[in-house]
Amino acid sequence: MSDAPASDVPAAETPDQAGGRSVLDKRVDRRGALGMLLGGVVMGTQALGACAPLSAETDEAREIKLLAWREYIKGNYRFMTEGERADTIARLERLAQLQRGVDVTIQSTGAQPGVQFGYAFNISKCKGYRRCVEACINENNLDREAATQYIRIFEMEDGVLDLDEADATFQHEVPAEGHFYLGTQCFQCADPPCVKVCPVGATWQEPDGITVIDYDWCIGCRYCMAACPYWARRFNWSQPEVPREEVNPNQHYLGNRARKKGVVEKCTFCIHRSRQGRLPACAEACPTGARVFGNLLDPDSEIRWVLAHKRIFRLKEDLKTEPRFWYFTD
Amino acid sequence: MSWIRVDAAAVCVAAAWLASGCREPEMTKGEEPPKTAVAVPIDSATAARNASLEPGVLATVQAVPVERWKGPGDRPFEVARRSAAPEAGHSRQFGTITLPIALRTRTAAISQYPCTSCHLGRKVVMANKRIGDAHNNIQPVHPDQTGAVCSTCHSADDVALLTLKSGERATLDESYRLCAQCHFPEAKAWAGGAHGKRLDGWQGRRVVMACADCHDPHKPGVEVRIPFRAPQLERTRSKVP
Repeated sequence: MSDAPASDVPAAETPDQAGGRSVLDKRVDRRGALGMLLGGVVMGTQALGACAPLSAETDEAREIKLLAWREYIKGNYRFMTEGERADTIARLERLAQLQRGVDVTIQSTGAQPGVQFGYAFNISKCKGYRRCVEACINENNLDREAATQYIRIFEMEDGVLDLDEADATFQHEVPAEGHFYLGTQCFQCADPPCVKVCPVGATWQEPDGITVIDYDWCIGCRYCMAACPYWARRFNWSQPEVPREEVNPNQHYLGNRARKKGVVEKCTFCIHRSRQGRLPACAEACPTGARVFGNLLDPDSEIRWVLAHKRIFRLKEDLKTEPRFWYFTD
Repeated sequence: MSWIRVDAAAVCVAAAWLASGCREPEMTKGEEPPKTAVAVPIDSATAARNASLEPGVLATVQAVPVERWKGPGDRPFEVARRSAAPEAGHSRQFGTITLPIALRTRTAAISQYPCTSCHLGRKVVMANKRIGDAHNNIQPVHPDQTGAVCSTCHSADDVALLTLKSGERATLDESYRLCAQCHFPEAKAWAGGAHGKRLDGWQGRRVVMACADCHDPHKPGVEVRIPFRAPQLERTRSKVP
């Protein structure tokens, strides 16, 4: 599923097959035909509504309906043409304006060639301040109502690296005497089990190693959450709520754009920032410098220096998911 | 120093410039440009900029290349500047005295900055006892075991400079050179990228923070803080109950 080739046109059909699916003598695929037919019904209903003098529906409400409908019948992001991507982004930006009153910019920036992102976390440096968690929530428009957090910071006693006994809910002055801290988030595995189990191909690994989700293709089955050995994914049990003034308008289609109820989301190493050469919000916010982020394919990068010179380990390495997230000590 | 004198000097310079056919005055060899402390009035924009600086926040990431140190792959890197070169508008007034000193982005966090507000002669005056000293707030914890005094790090001749073991002097921006004299494992990790903090993104110019941007040299140690709120999800431990 994850290796399906990107194609912009439906597979070649015989004229007979095509005839069965044609609408107004124009060749379309099944989904497109469905969209056109039902779209016509919706438009017709709306036209009737517009004629009715008692209809209280405003132009805005009609536009929202139409945009939402077009969004509903769009395809998987991976198989969209550049034009289709531009269209859906324009619709999403307009919808954000109409429904939530925020002006957002949604990128569709692709992976840079020759880049594989890697992360290193210094467990000697982390002091458990959770400034990374705070930055992540603000940057990625995480649901304030459900208090979703991608990053967990575990507190452990010195000398005992046991995550089973670790406390991720500590709420006292840190650093606590005789304790150390270890943070987890999505490790962007090179062989991600979450991608393998997705029944609809809504999640996949990008060329720069970031595993992303098409929130409009996800059906919310949560197989990926069951498959992830690190509990890196979060489910939206309700419509995520972010106060209007706190919405981060710098968004990416595969990253921090508005999610909806019933879809899975996860850390994307701040795809909207990292693909522009910036650090993820957690790395930028860390006051201790415990977080090192960079390009694994660049031999002169800091992450490569850390991997070459420091004592490193990964979590659950025996599962062979090859996380791109290492821990190191001073 | 009076404003009138400054203005008069400016008028003279302007007149000379016009008289010379609007050309840049040519320096004769060996002659250095006159170093006069020109008092510059603080304009409202600078005042606003000064006022908006938060303690401990690096307002700018101006950077200078790190000399004699190499990053990963022998690549050069830069260090974020704590002080800017004195330029027009970057001055502070103390009573009737205006000093053409650098605007330091973290000055708001340093209560007794600039040093020259007291050390007018720029000399460090060493007393035998530190009782009644203006720097009572500085506890000598950092160089405690080493028996170091102020002048071990600060240049006795110029309070604005640091002194290295070799006798060489360094600016406050080059604090890493001073620190690295003892903390060499940290310095190595800092140059390599495992210690310290990169500011300018993972790509392009590598700008890092200097030692003293995080570690107060007069008060080393880790600050105890209240963390950001804990996760409120059920599954916060890796073990399933």
